[in-house]
Amino acid sequence: MLLFRSEQHIARWCKQWKRPRGGTLSLAQGWKLAQLWYGDRLSQHWQPKTAAEAESVFRQVGLVGEFWKLTG
Amino acid sequence: MPRTDLLDPRLRLFVYRQMIRTGRCPTVAEMASSLKAPLRNIRSSLSRLSESHAFMPQENGELWRVAPFSAIPTAFPVTVGKRSWFGNCIWDALGIPAMLGKDARIGASCGCCNLAMPIEVRAGKLLSTRGVIHIAVPACEWYKDVAFT
Repeated sequence: MLLFRSEQHIARWCKQWKRPRGGTLSLAQGWKLAQLWYGDRLSQHWQPKTAAEAESVFRQVGLVGEFWKLTG
Repeated sequence: MPRTDLLDPRLRLFVYRQMIRTGRCPTVAEMASSLKAPLRNIRSSLSRLSESHAFMPQENGELWRVAPFSAIPTAFPVTVGKRSWFGNCIWDALGIPAMLGKDARIGASCGCCNLAMPIEVRAGKLLSTRGVIHIAVPACEWYKDVAFT
């Protein structure tokens, strides 16, 4: 999961690595995702997120669609 | 001898606290010594804790990933005050100040051209939101090759 200056730089990276374009999110979405994903990590009672819980986090950040699916 | 079901959360928090306090991941031997547990119990516990991929062991059994921290240097250095760590990727680098609830500086750069793109988190907010995050593989395949993802 890398940060890029722009969509053009993502396209250049994908071409260089011969990879199809993956999923993208804004840095603001990345920050919100990090807060939702890691905000409780130091809790004594932390448990790994289930696939459904992870998808719920993605949805809260606006990450929807086939690329972000973990269930069904 | 600690009960298995009690050792896992104790070990998990011990590793995180050491990582936060010292900036480096404790060795398996240090975990066993500090928690007064046999090495085999520590290894079994780490194996269970690695099932979620939050922890990931190297081939020699020592941890390389204590998400969001990387136990080995990466291109995502994160500084909080006088302390610094490495994130495994940009998501994890953002995860360090998110987890700690602290102001931070992330020494990020463009994955394509390596142009410096420092990120600053202050009072729970990003000071700049320039840049786009790219995830190369779909979510359902993230853990097939974590290093590439």
